[in-house]
Amino acid sequence: MEPIYCTVLPGSPDELGVPPEADKTKHKQSLAIEELLSTERGYLNMIQLCAVDIRNRLKQKQLPDFDLEGLFANIDDVIDVSSKLLYQLELMDTENPQYLQALSDTFLSMRSELENTYKEYCASYSNILILEARYREREELDKAIQETITSTAPHTNATNLSFFLVMPVQRIARYQLLLQTILKNTEPSHPAYRSLQATVDSTVALNSNINEYKRLKEVADKYNKPENLTLMDKIYRINTHSIAKKTARLSQMLKHEAGFLPKTEDKEFDALEEYFLALERGVADLQDNVSTFVKHFEEFLSRRPHECELDIETEVAFRNYKELSAILHKHIYPKYMHRLKSLVLQPLCSLQELFACPQNMIRKRLHKLLDFEKIEEKRRETGSITYEEQEAANTYQAINTLLLTEMPKFNGMATQLLIRAMETFIFIQRDFAADVNHIASGYLQHLPHNKLPDYTFWSWAEGMFLKEAKSLQQISQTFEAELNPHFILPLTPSSQRRLSELTKRYKSEQIYQASSDIKGGRDMDLSLSRGELVAVIQEMDTKGDKRRWLVEAGGNRGYVPASRINPYHPTGQTASPSPAIVDEASKRHSVVVVSPAIESPVLPSLQVFAAYDFSARSIHEVSLRAGELVTVLEHHDRQGNPQWTLVEVQGQKGYVPSNYLMVVPVPGISASSRKT
Amino acid sequence: MSWIPFKNNNPKKQIISKTVERDFEREYEKLQKLEDQTKKLHKDMKKSTEADTAMSKAAVKISSDLLSNPLCEQDPQFLKSMTALDTAMRRMDAFNQEKVNQIQKTVIEPLKKFSSVFPSLNMAVKRREQTLQDYKRLQSKVEKYEEKEKTGPTMVKLHQAREELRPVREDFEAKNKQLLEEMPKFYHSRIDYFQPSFEALIRAQVAYFTEMHKIFGELTEQIDQPGLTDEQRERDNEARLSELKALSIVADD
Repeated sequence: MEPIYCTVLPGSPDELGVPPEADKTKHKQSLAIEELLSTERGYLNMIQLCAVDIRNRLKQKQLPDFDLEGLFANIDDVIDVSSKLLYQLELMDTENPQYLQALSDTFLSMRSELENTYKEYCASYSNILILEARYREREELDKAIQETITSTAPHTNATNLSFFLVMPVQRIARYQLLLQTILKNTEPSHPAYRSLQATVDSTVALNSNINEYKRLKEVADKYNKPENLTLMDKIYRINTHSIAKKTARLSQMLKHEAGFLPKTEDKEFDALEEYFLALERGVADLQDNVSTFVKHFEEFLSRRPHECELDIETEVAFRNYKELSAILHKHIYPKYMHRLKSLVLQPLCSLQELFACPQNMIRKRLHKLLDFEKIEEKRRETGSITYEEQEAANTYQAINTLLLTEMPKFNGMATQLLIRAMETFIFIQRDFAADVNHIASGYLQHLPHNKLPDYTFWSWAEGMFLKEAKSLQQISQTFEAELNPHFILPLTPSSQRRLSELTKRYKSEQIYQASSDIKGGRDMDLSLSRGELVAVIQEMDTKGDKRRWLVEAGGNRGYVPASRINPYHPTGQTASPSPAIVDEASKRHSVVVVSPAIESPVLPSLQVFAAYDFSARSIHEVSLRAGELVTVLEHHDRQGNPQWTLVEVQGQKGYVPSNYLMVVPVPGISASSRKT
Repeated sequence: MSWIPFKNNNPKKQIISKTVERDFEREYEKLQKLEDQTKKLHKDMKKSTEADTAMSKAAVKISSDLLSNPLCEQDPQFLKSMTALDTAMRRMDAFNQEKVNQIQKTVIEPLKKFSSVFPSLNMAVKRREQTLQDYKRLQSKVEKYEEKEKTGPTMVKLHQAREELRPVREDFEAKNKQLLEEMPKFYHSRIDYFQPSFEALIRAQVAYFTEMHKIFGELTEQIDQPGLTDEQRERDNEARLSELKALSIVADD
């Protein structure tokens, strides 16, 4: 067993010939190196235990609302770096005289890895603590965590996760101390001294960077999230402090505007901000417009005119159109839409979302700038400022620096994306046109008139339709034609009287007959019965409606639907007796003596009846009752006028209007059986 | 069967044979379906061209908004690209307008004209139906009187009824004949009528997309980037977005 302590006598060399002071230092150095290595091993063990065993157990438990990733951050990277470091450090035997050099080289070569990994972890650490605190408040989660820890790592007496999770934070700072101890116990004359020194410096710098990174990130996180505060939250936020702060800012702003104070101009920042805002506007507009474009295309796609069923499947033009449209709708259009959405619209939406936070940060910078100006003013005037004011000034500086550094990158990259989106759009349009053309030209070949040049085709097509329009009109007219213009309903005696009244005052073209019963609905509408005669006064109503005509019927005037009345043209019918005839009749009858009636032979199969009632108006006439059987004596009057017939009825003889009689074929009645 | 309360007495004699009636209905049904489909096609074509026009206008807005953005003042290359794009969009809009006009004249208006015949047809069919009802009613009346005792008044009434019936019957027969002749003719006319429309639709599309291919093809030649595949483009976008998100001033969620 080697002695591990040096001999007692100071100044006397030991068996190895090395001075005791040097021995002590060397010994300390070895101890320090050994500590570095053994602590690294222990550390690695612990974090592996945590990251692997504990995490897996927790994962298995499938706890609700449990952010494993947030809790463990990038600890896997930390483990990788630590493993690598340890491996390198264990490659050489620590007693090897080259060892120190190797150690320095290892640390220096791994510098950037160490910095990048640990800086991320440290920056995430505050979030880790927040999460842990939140979970410990929930009883079931807390219990589960405790359980896991005690079952996995009973030897540690740990009761919470942060016991493990804080280790990387501590470790990275520890390297500095450990290396410094080694350095302290190394002779400056040692060949590896300079490297070791550099290593120590490097580690110091590393830690400082990590801290700076952490601070900037905290500032960024604090100020860049747009705050979604409810009204109540905002009200609670108001206190004397915040009011004072805002008032101060406002007064500072007013001083700027009024010209009392020069605005702190930062041309560089303003230029960046201006560009940023223009870019933001451009991206927002573009996203909006492309979205509208896609929406209209979707509307277009939803219409499927080619699916109409006109029963013309055999017609070649329709068949081609239908097939072409079906293919376009099924394949080409959806492909186009998909490309537009995924390659243009989607990236634009994502890009647009990224503008919110920087914009918020710019706003905050302005606020902090106003605070900063006041503080600087105070510093200039009084020479001293409070701790809080210094903090506020630092915050402004931090935000400002951050923005100045990162905004150019943001602006540049976002512009690139915008341009890419437009270029992609152009390519998509070209490809779409190529696709459609490719298919449609194929179908064009099958069309009858495909050889015609465009101009000729359109003239032909338009000409065709003008011609067709004419024949369609004819067809319409055919359907509209009234097939019963002379459809007359037989006249009742009252109609006869009506007719004579109307013809007194109106022209015969104005006389119409109702083809069906008309029930007047509105004011000023007339009701007519079927067959009733009217005279048309005006072929439209006061509002100009040509379907409602003004007519007169028996002294009443009113409106009736034009479609229900037909012109009354009595063709081939004997004219009804006019007043003139009556006068004539009396004239006739007064002159001539009525000759005795001669029995006219009545055809055996015909009988004559009175069709209507008739009241005799002179002694030469005889009254009739509808349905009476009469005997015709003469088919004309004394002057040969066939409009009057001499009949015998009920033993009376006299003249009656001829059209009041009806000749009815009655089977099986002979001439001999007559009613008298 | 006087205990059965018929409002319209159905005449004992068959007025029109079942086959004739069936033929009539079949022809009319075909035309009714044609009416529905032409109306639907008209509506679809109208909405389709409206959406088409809206799309074209939206495309113009894409380029004109970008062109009026202050970024154009900052970057001359950007200005040049946007001007070229804007010109292209406006030209395409002009072509689209032309296409829509052609479709309007050779498809949409002809459809409307064709549809306008149907109201007249439907009216004629209705009038025939009305006349048929009158005919049936008067026929029943005549038959009623024919069965009654032959008294004087009855005879008169019978004669009157027959006189009333005759013109109505003639009217119905005329209407029926006309419709049976004209309906198939009209139905058949659709084939030749619509042929130019469908030719026109295909032709208009080919003309438009030929222009579009040319115009956008010219634009792509002005872009330095070679044609990438869609996956490459997607990956490109993802990469750029990730880079942006890595910046501290952009919140990470």
